[in-house]
Amino acid sequence: MGLRAALSRLAAAAPVPVFLAPGAGGRSPAQRLRLSPYLEVVDSPRRATVMLVVGAVAAGAAEELHRVHDQLPHPRAVLWWDMETGATAPPPLPTAERVVGDEAAVVGAVVAAHRGLLSAGRPSSPPLLADVEPNDWRGVGPFGQGGKGMTGGTPYGRPLPTRAPDRDGLELDQLVLTLGPWLPMLPAGLVVEVKLQGDVVQEVTLAPSPGLVPGAAPADVFERARVEPVPIAELELARARHHLLWAGEVLVLLGLVAESRRVLRAAVAVVPGAAAAELAHAARTAGALASARRLRHPMARVGLVGADRLGEVAGPTARASGVVTDARTDDPAYRSLGFEAVTEEAGDALARWRVRLGEAVRSLELAAEAGDRLTSVDCTPEGPRGPWRAGGPSPSTALAHLAPGLLVGLEWGDAVVALASLDLEPAELAADAARPAEST
Amino acid sequence: MIGSVVALLVLLAAGVVATALIDSAVGAVVGGEPVGRALKGPFTRSALLAVQGRTTTERPDAGTWRLAPALLGGLAAVGAAAVPLGRGLAAGDVPDGIVLFGVAMALVMVAVFLHGWSPNSPFPLFGAYRFAALALSYEMPLALVLIGTALPAQSLSVGDIVSSQAGLWNVVRQPLGLPLFLVAVAGLAFWGPLNVADAPDLVGGTAAESSGPALLAWRAARSAVLVAAAAMAAAAFLGGWNGPLLPGPVWMAVKTMGIVALVVTSGHRIPRVRLERFVVVAWVVLIPLALLDVFAAGIVAL
Repeated sequence: MGLRAALSRLAAAAPVPVFLAPGAGGRSPAQRLRLSPYLEVVDSPRRATVMLVVGAVAAGAAEELHRVHDQLPHPRAVLWWDMETGATAPPPLPTAERVVGDEAAVVGAVVAAHRGLLSAGRPSSPPLLADVEPNDWRGVGPFGQGGKGMTGGTPYGRPLPTRAPDRDGLELDQLVLTLGPWLPMLPAGLVVEVKLQGDVVQEVTLAPSPGLVPGAAPADVFERARVEPVPIAELELARARHHLLWAGEVLVLLGLVAESRRVLRAAVAVVPGAAAAELAHAARTAGALASARRLRHPMARVGLVGADRLGEVAGPTARASGVVTDARTDDPAYRSLGFEAVTEEAGDALARWRVRLGEAVRSLELAAEAGDRLTSVDCTPEGPRGPWRAGGPSPSTALAHLAPGLLVGLEWGDAVVALASLDLEPAELAADAARPAEST
Repeated sequence: MIGSVVALLVLLAAGVVATALIDSAVGAVVGGEPVGRALKGPFTRSALLAVQGRTTTERPDAGTWRLAPALLGGLAAVGAAAVPLGRGLAAGDVPDGIVLFGVAMALVMVAVFLHGWSPNSPFPLFGAYRFAALALSYEMPLALVLIGTALPAQSLSVGDIVSSQAGLWNVVRQPLGLPLFLVAVAGLAFWGPLNVADAPDLVGGTAAESSGPALLAWRAARSAVLVAAAAMAAAAFLGGWNGPLLPGPVWMAVKTMGIVALVVTSGHRIPRVRLERFVVVAWVVLIPLALLDVFAAGIVAL
């Protein structure tokens, strides 16, 4: 008893292992939480004491939320960061404690919940799903064996794998998995249905989670640039920050978790009004990452996109395939700054890495040179994923069309890197999907 | 006998704690964070895992799931037993020490596969198959370079191999040996660039469904494999207990933890390998280099 109490006291002082379920507008705040010394963002709910829903998650994702919740070991707690203070409905989690306020308030609430669970008798959140078999087991023997149709053809509610020839001509089982929307190696909010043979991807479909609420996120500078002139300096700093945050996510997939925190720290410092030293540090970080030889091998020749396969895709993905296209070259304000698009020829994940980080460096230079110049409102603004005019489809929709063909035939490890290299935003997909319904 | 086994387990446990501290410190340096705070992390995190509840999956093989960490830790202890800390100071410095070590390390695959297979869940199973797919690629060079160190000693006993390095360490005499062995060390402990079994792209691979004490045991066992393999590297290539001024066992501990630090640092700096490319590199480059190492050692020994 004494030992357990002592261990609990020590455990209460641990960085809180927290599993994040970002909803609409929650992706960027969730990334910032990774930098808190009081939290440890874990990739499996099996390791967390606290599940934190960041932003709005609609009832459409109730089952997924409940599944994640029930995977946390006891003692556990679930918190909801309500970033819009009441403007959106709470997530479908009956035991979720609502937290409002800034990042510090949320970290404080998470730490308090963790300590309460371990040392102050806070009750552990009870299971939300019933512990029942999806199908009755109809075996007759003493070990559950025998009988006819023991599982009714669908053991535990899942169809048996079918067989098909693989890339080497062997007949192998096909495993169909539905992954997401909060699997850390996929963009938050993306649901991926994947057919695998071994760990080779055979078929992929991508969709935004039904829990993503379009329009719940506050408008960022790129959205404002579609309808009004915005300061170039502000826009370019946001671009540099976006690309660095993205690089931090990719580094985690490559197994470089500590380094990703360093990059994340450099990224969040890139804000309007930041000290020159902070911006110079961010530029050095981006430049060093773009040219790091040790990062070549996991990305080179992964997820090749030839210029002929791009379809509607523009932005950094097209520029990485050697297509010189950048909406900023049409803007007289950018032309006056001598702007030229950053391009690469290879069309692989490494080329997309270099284009984005090269652009981050260029954006920081542009921000320094731009003074108080504004973008021209009659030009389509170039977002971090490509041009996006007001009322038009998002760049993510074009990327989502490109992605399945890119992933087929790749091993799982390469597939997640290839998908990350496209920088899809599921919230944009959800917004595009909702648009026709609004207009009818 | 019992005393030496207890001493072995205590030393291995100390090595595991030191590994966790080194990993935290290097992670903090790479991540640009204060090292002092990071050094508390392993203790508080371990305490948390110890008090967290167990979780289970749908229809796991509960018995083998629990057995896997014990098997992995046991294999690490068997491997470490063959390595003497000082002259005559080994829990089991048997005449065929490097064979015992090689057998224990070959069976690591069984423990990792059991750990991935038992939860009845896709990502752990992928991790298990990845480990199995990769294992032979570094176990072959491991066995070959160890045989290379046995040739000048004219013995398979690790104690004799250390004694044979009194004048010149194998790291100088057989320069290909240690780099190839280090690749195998990272592979056996599925650490850093060769952590394909418990990789982040599989949300922790074979450990994706593990929590609480079971996860703590698995992580400790994995670190123990790293320590055991690093101890063998120190004995086989860095002259073991040989060294000026300090007592032999201290030299052995310093060299072992130096190797651990090298592997741990590589984990924070070098990205995860791509499975298929690594297998090609292993068979086309590493195994021929290991053969070259053995042939060269053989010619010198003649």
